[in-house]
Amino acid sequence: MKKTVLIVMLLLSAFARTVFANDKEVRIFIWSEYMDEFKMRDQFKKAYGINAKIDIYENNEEMLAKLMAGGVSEYDIIVPSDYVIPSLIRNKLIQPLNKAKIPNLKNIMPMFAKTTYDPGGDYVAAYQWGTVGLMYNRKKISDADAKSWAVLFDPKKQKGTFWLMDSVRDTMAMANMYLGFDMNTTNPAQIKKSAELLTQVKHSRYCRGFKPGVGAKNDVDANQADMAIVYNGDGMRAVIADKKRLGFTIPKEGGEIWCDFMAIPAKAPNVENAYKWINFVLDAKIGAQVSNYNRYATPNQASVKYIIPMDLKSDEIYPGPETMKRLHYTKDLGSVNKIVDEAWTSVKSH
Amino acid sequence: MKKKQPVIKALALFTIWFLYVPLLGVAVCSFNSAKDGFIWKGFTLQWYVKLFSNDWILTCAWNTLVLALVSTAIATVMGTVLAYGMNRFPWGRKTNSFLNMILNIPIVIPDIIMAGALVVVFSLMRIFSDIFRMGMIDMIIGHVTFQLAFVALVVRSRLTLIGSDVEEAARDLFADNWYLMRKVMIPLMMPGIVAGAMLAFTLSLDDFVISFFLAGPDSQTLPLYIYAAVRRGVTPQIHALSTLVVFVTVLLVIGIERLSKKNEVSLTE
Repeated sequence: MKKTVLIVMLLLSAFARTVFANDKEVRIFIWSEYMDEFKMRDQFKKAYGINAKIDIYENNEEMLAKLMAGGVSEYDIIVPSDYVIPSLIRNKLIQPLNKAKIPNLKNIMPMFAKTTYDPGGDYVAAYQWGTVGLMYNRKKISDADAKSWAVLFDPKKQKGTFWLMDSVRDTMAMANMYLGFDMNTTNPAQIKKSAELLTQVKHSRYCRGFKPGVGAKNDVDANQADMAIVYNGDGMRAVIADKKRLGFTIPKEGGEIWCDFMAIPAKAPNVENAYKWINFVLDAKIGAQVSNYNRYATPNQASVKYIIPMDLKSDEIYPGPETMKRLHYTKDLGSVNKIVDEAWTSVKSH
Repeated sequence: MKKKQPVIKALALFTIWFLYVPLLGVAVCSFNSAKDGFIWKGFTLQWYVKLFSNDWILTCAWNTLVLALVSTAIATVMGTVLAYGMNRFPWGRKTNSFLNMILNIPIVIPDIIMAGALVVVFSLMRIFSDIFRMGMIDMIIGHVTFQLAFVALVVRSRLTLIGSDVEEAARDLFADNWYLMRKVMIPLMMPGIVAGAMLAFTLSLDDFVISFFLAGPDSQTLPLYIYAAVRRGVTPQIHALSTLVVFVTVLLVIGIERLSKKNEVSLTE
């Protein structure tokens, strides 16, 4: 008898946590180390009285997989990268924004308010933008060597251990550009060549494998590797703390420029709270706080005056016109996505 | 008189060393005040302190515990009943071998196939009721599904060991079903039930693949947290967390071992 009562009570307590969902909460699914989770949560709670529950992921594909496996009705905010948005809209995984509920949308710079990924600016609100480049240990790799991707991809020029980024579009892009192809090539022969290059590089004794940007950055910072393909904000957080030892650069063959956006999944449970969160993040001071923390570039015009002046002058965080020539946006490849995915799978499994 | 076998002794010691030295290494690193690398910089408890003020980890630990306890309770009860039914009911030969086979499937099947199947089932059931959205209930059902087979297997082997003599003797002495269960069968089966429950508990604590596919934002468990954290870089906090988990597991095993020794009803008394 006692056992049954105990079991029933345990069941009820498990039930209670899930059935009585809180309407004073907002569920955020975001990249790791993209904001000061504890601080933002406390500030948001103070401002609106809503609990922010934060879950993290390491790349877009992981987020997409979770979304399609049921996450579309579990999360209120997701932060996809630019090239994922057209397929999110196509597959009706995100819902249009009620712009009247997000007055701070007006703070976003015009170039990020309406993009080719979301022509009407109806579905997403810009979060941060940045680049993908090479982070390296200046004591092992000279600044001159780091100016070319050959230091990773050419067996004769590899000078130290490195991690490749565990993200299909980012790493394939670097391989494409090193081989002289267009970063977003849809030519199957070219994609195959890049896959073969990556497979070869993977087997080199200097390559430690594939790791998401944040993990790879932490490894270079901890001297567990000499180089890594990382996002500029992650890289710069480490570089700024130790300028003599670490460096970040966009090699001459080219790098990637991207913008991440906040979106609301189609069946989000707390849509109103999601609007409040987006409005909160787009506030001038909060936007600057986010960028000053994660060292990415802000798309928020009103935040610019609160950004750390040294960051504004840093070419790695806010690329100047010369660097901009080497940077390219990732495009949604539509039906060619499948070919790229297969190439990536073959790289990972051979 | 047993002959001393130095080779076997050496092999045994080597195996124990092989199993436990890595765990000891992690424990030692968790007290190391250096943030990275293996150079000993000084003894510190700061990683443990940081652990307890990190409410993310505490929530995950709580979720893991609730999940393990609830699913173990359900699986033990259902598994015992299943084992008793399979062993004592006079099934036909074909039904018996069929039941044997389906009992073994959850044990042999790769975790990821089980997880994939569960994802498909729950997305179908979500059409009927919202209770099956990704979260604790999904995870409990998923865990019970594979724990059942293990518990039933362990209890069934214990039942075969007991044999049916004691049961028949009890019935001869006018014991009704409820009395038989309470005073004869369950005490006899207890070591099997406890072993099955322990196995189920450990499986649930450890489980990564099935939890990964079924977890919702509210029900992240420790294995999921550690996986995500390790992809970003192993910090000493992870070492501290792992050491604590191993420590708790060891305590549990010792405790249950002691308890079951007390309650065990011997067959030859």
